[in-house]
Amino acid sequence: MFSSVRVASDGVEDKYSVILPTYNERGNLPVIIWLLAKTFKEHDLDWEVIIVDDASPDGTQDIAKQLATVYGLEHIVLKPRAGKLGLGTAYVHGLQFVTGNFVIIMDADFSHHPKFIPEFIRLQKSNNYDIVTGTRYAGNGGVHGWNLKRKIISRGANFLASTLLRPGVTDLTGSFRLYKKEVLEKIMTVVISKGYVFQMEMMVRARQFGYTIGEVPITFVDRVYGESKMGANEIVQFAKGVLQLFISV
Amino acid sequence: MSRATETASFLGIISVIYFLSFFGIIPLPQIVREEILPLPWWALVSFGSYSLGNIGYHLYRFRDCDDAYHELMEEIQSAKDDLRTKGVSVD
Repeated sequence: MFSSVRVASDGVEDKYSVILPTYNERGNLPVIIWLLAKTFKEHDLDWEVIIVDDASPDGTQDIAKQLATVYGLEHIVLKPRAGKLGLGTAYVHGLQFVTGNFVIIMDADFSHHPKFIPEFIRLQKSNNYDIVTGTRYAGNGGVHGWNLKRKIISRGANFLASTLLRPGVTDLTGSFRLYKKEVLEKIMTVVISKGYVFQMEMMVRARQFGYTIGEVPITFVDRVYGESKMGANEIVQFAKGVLQLFISV
Repeated sequence: MSRATETASFLGIISVIYFLSFFGIIPLPQIVREEILPLPWWALVSFGSYSLGNIGYHLYRFRDCDDAYHELMEEIQSAKDDLRTKGVSVD
């Protein structure tokens, strides 16, 4: 909290580092980088994207190298890993190379649109929040591409989780978030869950540490290419995760 | 783990006492039997209704953002056109 205040008073500008975990995102990666670059340039922000690629066989890394020549090595930082090692460790890996004082976490599949990042930043600045999270469930937020069944599951899951865990945010499973760098580092040292539960645990731990959290309504366009999987197995995993958090935190 | 065990044993003891009274094993005055004992059931039913109401309300309020989808499709197209001129391979 104090370090960012100090940075601002030194007259050094804030820098925003996006950690983008990828696996077979050859088609999506150039477009999402294009959108990010456009947003950051339009709002005159200092930025970088850390691409954490889990050895995608489709050549995602070649595309990343092409993008680095277009946008510059100071903006596009490729930090691949040897294999598919999961989301949580991708953030830990990416964090080592972050040079900004803020970290943005988002998906590379277009479900999270970079146009909301300036709103995240504005809200963070006005209240000096430790975390700003996107929410599909409040204000002007919303979802595209979900049928009624998917919506019922999502609302039910969110109700169960917020009743048991009382996290103080409306969208527990969202993963489009802005963190102060040291806050994300601190949370990553204690988070143990994987999959859907991982994003939820991040919020629950943040509350536990007493970090302040702001919310920005976002629109969520689900899986422009490819299938979103939400079957019985995912629901069971989710419920188990909620109970585990309820018991352990 | 200890917090959860605490909660569980507290709830366990309360429900044992409750069911002993409910089946008349612990003698209670008529008025208590008729007015107090049904309360937990009312609480349960109320909570169930609240849950359904809450989920239903939010389901009704759930916004479909088709405009965001169409905007994104156009942006993807212009991104691809622009990236091609810069020499990035796009499908």
